[in-house]
Amino acid sequence: MRRLLNWRSLRWKIAALAAVACCAVALAIGILVHKATFERSMSLGRERASVQMQADVGEYLRTGVAPDHTDSQRIPPALVEQANSSGQFTTWYDTRNPDTPWMWGAQPVHGRLLFVQMEMGTEARDLRALDRHVLEYSLAVLTVVVPLAALAAELPNRRLRRVARTARRIADGDLDARASQGGRGGDEIAEISVAVDAMAGALQERLLGEQRFTADVAHELRTPLMGLVTSTELLPESEATELVRDRVRALRSLVEDLLEITRIDAGAERADLASVPLDQVTEESVRRAGVPARLTVTGDPFADTDPRRLDRIIVNLVTNAHRHGRPPVEVTVSGTTIVVRDHGPGFPDALVVNGPQRFRTGAAERGRGHGLGLTIAVGHAQVIGGRLTFANAPDGGAIATLHLPADDRS
Amino acid sequence: MSVSEVGSGPSAPVMVLLVEDDEVIRKTVAMALERYGYRVSAAGDGLAGLESFREQRHDVLLLDVMLPGLDGIGLCRRVREHSQVPILMMSARGDALDVVSGLEAGADDYVVKPVDTSVLVARIRSLLRRASFHPVSAQPAEPGPGVATDLVFGDLTIDPHGLEVRRAGEPVALAPTELRLLLEFAANPGIVLDRRTLLRDVWDYGWDGDSRVVDLCVQRLRKKVGADRIETVRGFGYKLRR
Repeated sequence: MRRLLNWRSLRWKIAALAAVACCAVALAIGILVHKATFERSMSLGRERASVQMQADVGEYLRTGVAPDHTDSQRIPPALVEQANSSGQFTTWYDTRNPDTPWMWGAQPVHGRLLFVQMEMGTEARDLRALDRHVLEYSLAVLTVVVPLAALAAELPNRRLRRVARTARRIADGDLDARASQGGRGGDEIAEISVAVDAMAGALQERLLGEQRFTADVAHELRTPLMGLVTSTELLPESEATELVRDRVRALRSLVEDLLEITRIDAGAERADLASVPLDQVTEESVRRAGVPARLTVTGDPFADTDPRRLDRIIVNLVTNAHRHGRPPVEVTVSGTTIVVRDHGPGFPDALVVNGPQRFRTGAAERGRGHGLGLTIAVGHAQVIGGRLTFANAPDGGAIATLHLPADDRS
Repeated sequence: MSVSEVGSGPSAPVMVLLVEDDEVIRKTVAMALERYGYRVSAAGDGLAGLESFREQRHDVLLLDVMLPGLDGIGLCRRVREHSQVPILMMSARGDALDVVSGLEAGADDYVVKPVDTSVLVARIRSLLRRASFHPVSAQPAEPGPGVATDLVFGDLTIDPHGLEVRRAGEPVALAPTELRLLLEFAANPGIVLDRRTLLRDVWDYGWDGDSRVVDLCVQRLRKKVGADRIETVRGFGYKLRR
């Protein structure tokens, strides 16, 4: 209904165009008919005047008395002038009183002017009635044409809306969405549908290619890594074994992080949303991070989110706080906001301003790390429709704040 | 049902069939599992795996997805034609397609490589627990074959003690996870169970678990017990219809 009342809709523009075209045609025809009818009544008036004049002239010549059935007070002076100068039968249409126009005729006969005066009121009234009819019928036609035009505009409108809907669905990630409605018309709408489809197709092909590549890379990297992981588990315990295991762990987390970033970058990630109790998930994630952290929860917070991604974000933030900051690491959940803070040197300025950059831990004092953890956290936050911001506390320490979209139910 | 075979003797070692084409993984995983007390027979490709599955009884199958010849998904499907043995898939790709097709083919769970042996063992234990699942009976010892204790849902009859499920009188063959899921539903008749609860109670996962395993297992269960029996409650989960 709101769409129907949208005055900027193409439907009403097309209807207005039809109305303007109708009015223009009606006006042109109206003027033409008006002019033709007026001219016809003029020539009829002149003829009537001339017939009357001939009769009058005959009578005058026969009797020597000019028959006078004119209102001699109102003889237009311009007529007298014209008749005198031309010396012939002359007519004058008198509209000085618009309600009763007259057709005057004058003829000089032997130095004297004879006048006739024909009543033209009927003709004038007929003409006015004609004009009124043209107007009335035009309006009647408009009341039919405008709704018809609006209705006829609905078809292309619907097709256009379908194209817009498809484009939105593609933007939302549904690359199987197609706009073409199957061979209808070679018009511009069909053209834009085909163009949108071609765009979606190209996008899909590229995305699928990238996904395939990522999956292949994952397979190629993970297979030897798995051999490495299980082999090192079999090694006899020793200091050297511990070193090897530590490096294997580092390599493994690097590979997993890189694969994760690639998947997020490919834009193929979809959130698996559910109503999630934030206190439980956060508690479990903090435990999984395996580092000491203090958890504070206010209220009974719920959010509509993807618990696996939320888990990744919290684990990464807590691990990062532990690795680069100083204890105590504090995790606070209130409403749909989760804050992770430490009491170390804080985030480097560049990170606070520009967000995390890959393979850049920023400052030497923040220690080692490949800097992918925060990038991944930001990526997951985007996928679940949240926002992750970084700041430093005035009394020292890094603060990462995750804002989640609120639960629909609350 | 093959379910009751598992752990029939307290000292009988659990037999694991490992099908994996990468030689290092095959050897090291076999060795690692043997350290945990499992007996492992290993195969390097799908067809060899199928053959050794047919030759010998196994308690659990550990299948790689990408295998030469018959791949893990095909192998899983072939095994499921006759057997309800617990199946754990290992995928190196970990993308949706691999995971979903593995679970659709009848796998009970999946892990993404590389996986620590401890995690692998935990998943195998969870699978075996499901396979040897006997609900603790609330009632005292029954006088006879307790027909009266059967749970009835429409044309579906569940005997929670004999672990038998019948649909319109015909026995239904359920994989351990499917049976465990159905019993979970039957224990909460008419109550909506959300994915996380099911993931926790049936699969032993926390919040980091993948809820797709629930969805796909429910799909498989529906095919066996009737599509209308398990109702989807949008945004929440599933419930068993009476």
